[in-house]
Amino acid sequence: MLDQPPDQIPVAQRTNPERSFREEVRSLRLGNGEVFRGEGILAVTKAILQAGVGYVGGYQGAPVSHLVDVLVESQDLLDELGVHLETCTNEASAAALLGASINYPIRGCVTWKSIVGTNVAADALSNLASPGVIGGALIVVGEDYGEGASVIQERTHAYALKSSVWLMDPRPNLPTMVRCTELAFELSEATNTPVMMDLRIRACHVTGEFVARDNKAPAISRNNRLAEPAAHNYDRISHPPSTYAHEKIKVEVRQPAAQRFIVEHGLNEFLPGERSDLGIIVQGGITNVTMRGLDRLELDGRIPMLVLNVTHPLVPDQIVDFCKGKRAVLIVEEGAPDYIEQAIHAILRKRDVDTKIYGKDVLPMAGEYTAEVMTEGLLKFFAQSANDIDLTKPRERFEAARAGRAEAQRILGGPLPLRPPGFCVGCPERPVFSAIKLLEREVGKVHISSDIGCHSFATLAPFNLGNSILGFGMSLAAAGAVAPVMQKRTISVMGDGGFWHNGLLSGVASSMFNRGDRVLVIMQNGYTSATGAQFIPNTSGNRRDGETTSDIAATLKAMGVKWLRTIRTYNVATMLNGLREAVNTKEGGLKVIVADGECQLARQRRVRPEIAAQLKRGERVVRTRFGVDDEICTGDHSCIRLSGCPSLVVKPSPDPLRSDPVAHVNNGCVGCGLCGEVADAAVLCPSFYKADIVQNASWWDRLKWRMRSAMIGAMAGA
Amino acid sequence: MKPTTILIGALGGDGGGVLCDWIVTAAQAQGLGVQATQIPGVAQRTGATTYYLEVMPGPRPAVLALNPAIGEVDVALATELLEAGRMIFNGFVSPERTTLIASTHRVLAIGERAAMGDGSFDVGRLLRAVKERSRAQILFDMDQAAEEAGSVINAVLLGALAGSGRLPIPDASFEAAIREGGKSVDANLAGFVFGRGHARGELEQAVREHQKRQAAAVGVEDLIERARKTYPAKSLDMVEEGIRRLASYQDRRYATLYLDRLDNVRPDLLRDVARHLAVRMSFEDVIRVAAAKTSRERMARVRAEVRAKPHEPVELTEHFKPGIEEICAMLPPRLARRILAWARRTGRLGKVYFSMHVRTTTVWGFARLRLLAGLRWWRPRTYRYVEEQAEIERWLADVRAATPISVELAREIVESARLIKGYGDTHARGLANYRRIAAEVIAPALMGRMTPRAAADAVASARVAALADPDGESLSRTLAAIASASRPLSQAAE
Repeated sequence: MLDQPPDQIPVAQRTNPERSFREEVRSLRLGNGEVFRGEGILAVTKAILQAGVGYVGGYQGAPVSHLVDVLVESQDLLDELGVHLETCTNEASAAALLGASINYPIRGCVTWKSIVGTNVAADALSNLASPGVIGGALIVVGEDYGEGASVIQERTHAYALKSSVWLMDPRPNLPTMVRCTELAFELSEATNTPVMMDLRIRACHVTGEFVARDNKAPAISRNNRLAEPAAHNYDRISHPPSTYAHEKIKVEVRQPAAQRFIVEHGLNEFLPGERSDLGIIVQGGITNVTMRGLDRLELDGRIPMLVLNVTHPLVPDQIVDFCKGKRAVLIVEEGAPDYIEQAIHAILRKRDVDTKIYGKDVLPMAGEYTAEVMTEGLLKFFAQSANDIDLTKPRERFEAARAGRAEAQRILGGPLPLRPPGFCVGCPERPVFSAIKLLEREVGKVHISSDIGCHSFATLAPFNLGNSILGFGMSLAAAGAVAPVMQKRTISVMGDGGFWHNGLLSGVASSMFNRGDRVLVIMQNGYTSATGAQFIPNTSGNRRDGETTSDIAATLKAMGVKWLRTIRTYNVATMLNGLREAVNTKEGGLKVIVADGECQLARQRRVRPEIAAQLKRGERVVRTRFGVDDEICTGDHSCIRLSGCPSLVVKPSPDPLRSDPVAHVNNGCVGCGLCGEVADAAVLCPSFYKADIVQNASWWDRLKWRMRSAMIGAMAGA
Repeated sequence: MKPTTILIGALGGDGGGVLCDWIVTAAQAQGLGVQATQIPGVAQRTGATTYYLEVMPGPRPAVLALNPAIGEVDVALATELLEAGRMIFNGFVSPERTTLIASTHRVLAIGERAAMGDGSFDVGRLLRAVKERSRAQILFDMDQAAEEAGSVINAVLLGALAGSGRLPIPDASFEAAIREGGKSVDANLAGFVFGRGHARGELEQAVREHQKRQAAAVGVEDLIERARKTYPAKSLDMVEEGIRRLASYQDRRYATLYLDRLDNVRPDLLRDVARHLAVRMSFEDVIRVAAAKTSRERMARVRAEVRAKPHEPVELTEHFKPGIEEICAMLPPRLARRILAWARRTGRLGKVYFSMHVRTTTVWGFARLRLLAGLRWWRPRTYRYVEEQAEIERWLADVRAATPISVELAREIVESARLIKGYGDTHARGLANYRRIAAEVIAPALMGRMTPRAAADAVASARVAALADPDGESLSRTLAAIASASRPLSQAAE
């Protein structure tokens, strides 16, 4: 059934061997006294090994993918230490992994992208937090917030509050991050509570250095297994009546213990300043921007600060001690709602401390605290709380910078063209959306339920396809109540990453169970590509044994899906036929198209070195790419609107009589053939050509070529 | 001690991250405190990415910031001109403080590329902002420099940064950082040297001029002479190209027809009419496409474009997909009309196509196209030819009728010819849009239902709207607005 051209590797054999973190792996082996240099997230990875972690797991997502990715490549090191690594299929499975620490004194660390990952993990997280842990349990969450974030803007803080999980938000400075990571395990063990650590995007990518320590092999591990399971202890089961007791223990025992630990270990930092009547309480993660803000107002080092490297729980005594006797304190807390500010208000009110608290009144409730936002907030704070500080000059400088920007924008005359992310050159998912656009020409607009993954870029220019995104693997479920009220069938698009993450059960099983009459397109590229091409269950080259675990089509068949096609994505005409049939067929029930095409980024990583080696050996290699005859193109750019390939660009027309720029294929072309397919399927124009360049040609190639060239030359026109 | 702040704007795939690493490594080797962070975008090789660094003049950094601040960037680096513009637009670049090091080449954003005509952002504005809103500039085409050096753009940019002298880091440390990176070291070093040379003014960059290609034609010297005698000098470049174009497209007689048609045109409209008329008369049919695909220069051009080495054979496959309309276009008018009517009646029009992949590097494939190109003599007898000539005459008649009312209106009608271009659906859409404008705006305007000024504006805005989206939504809205705006005047006239 699977239409597999020779250059297309079956999904079960796709591997991605060239993605390598050799340098990073070396950093993880540094010993006592050696200096580690690198990014924040790698420093945290090193810190968990230094803390004697026994198992690590996680689900990929920016900005924390690196943690698991690097460890996947460090199998030797993990084997030596006996550390177990689990590349989980979703965050719920990662959170459940921490269940090992409920009964056994093993330290565990899992990671995912928040807020979305925490949402998925929430059930396991609650059930973990309730009985609590005896081995240190650390959850490193990538707080995907502000510029560069790709998810809904919500705070992980809410989960820490509701589940009584401690939340660290370390100052983005490598030694602090490493110290917090190591102490997080101790805090977890001292309080029988899992600890979350929030790392924002810039913190994960911040470069710096710290003095390393030796890695520590865990006492209980793959290399040192337990003979017996833990004795049955009903207290450790999150089931009534234990759960009633757990709730009380959380607030009566664990929280006070955590507050004591925070004070005793100096986890929160006090930075002195001469203005004892003023103060700033800041989340550790945004300390840098706050301090630079003070610096900009020429107040660096003059205002006392309390840096909260732990943002939950707060320590009331510490807050009261800091605020007492001060006229005004500013709370710098990014994002909504203002949990910390509210809590501090309550603490001070209960202790009758009448310090005036500023926070979301001078700083915005929502949005990232950038340098500009921070400066404006600080200016307002000092204007209202300390008018003896002369801020005329800094204010003038700040206003001048803003006026300069306004002037720049006047010169540029309006917003600049956006440069949203899009599909890579040669991406196998692009042709599917070209086909959907062509389908819409025939049948009109259809409701498209989009999902998380590279394919969500189809919601942007030039495709502008998609009506909603409801979460990872949720696109089929999200069409559940749309399909019954639509005359035309709905199309849900899902990646294979999303399928295994959640779509299989939340989408396919539910749709089958409810006899849903919908269309599902599964992009089978073989990796979770948007997060950096991690393996998934239908990929081979699994880091352990190279065998594929599960096949999507076989899984769907086993679940009873009757209408099922696997179509090579680059075949736009076939894809269009498949979609047309799926949308129009009289057959009810779920109709699934497995759109198969390997992630081009991964493919190029594999193929490039292979081709280079072949060329070096003098073997015959045919390089294929596409081109546009600039004399024939008239500059309408339909081809670009139907493809959006980054290598399909425009250049000035060579025609002295025409002003519209013409299409041009640049040298980034990988010869996927989509532009030719689209020109064909959409009946566009005859300007596209395919060029096969024969490298290391054989004598026969050359002879044939010479003879043909001679004859063609004789026939050619002016 | 204040740090030197560096902001980098790049496109995914430009190697901004590697550039950032090189600077960090070089600063560390120099014993300077340094911190970098990034908004890397996603794994995909598209979209804009930014990197921010702070380099201390001495060893241990205090607390370095993670975010750039408006007006507080010392060095701004951009791998592309619009991204330089973006840093300026966002206020990071300042005329008091910032040295701007940017490539002057443009990589058009998707919205600019997808436009139905020329959608690119005004480069003049970008360059003006660059010059006026930064303290010092190092500007050159780094894409071209990278190509000339056999390198990549990030290495050129690193060289330009070194050459700017804005960081207390010697060249040797930057070069060592490239070596330490361990990948494509020689190519990167070459790019570095190029970039540094440009920044220091030691290298000159030849401006790449875009070549316009003139049509080749012989035996039309007398026609060119006729044009020179008759028409104003400023229109001659277009008229002469038109003559050459049409003589090679069809024959001498056709070029003469072109001049005859121009004879009736007012001198100040002549250049525009000459340009559009030549394009319209050399309409895109299969004969023209076949001729272009089999011309003598084409193979050399294609070989250069796909970067084939001199000894490497290249095989070409052309994509054609004629439908019933394209085939009828080549038939005599009466037969064509009958087939088209049948196809329309039976719903086959726009549905039935013949997909052909012709290999023009084989003798037979090339010969087939050559035969087609040889059908030039047949062209005047074809349905398409007759239709096109009628359309052209209607357009010229409208231009002539508009000229006494208002030259501006006439000029806008001339310019509207650019809507008609392309093949298949594109051509059909463009022609339909033009006809709608002719019927709903130009005709009422010529009947005096609008003031001359309003009429010119209406034609212009309808043309812009027709190019705004392929579904014709903007055009419908604009035409409705024009209709309702011109009603009071027409009622007043009645």
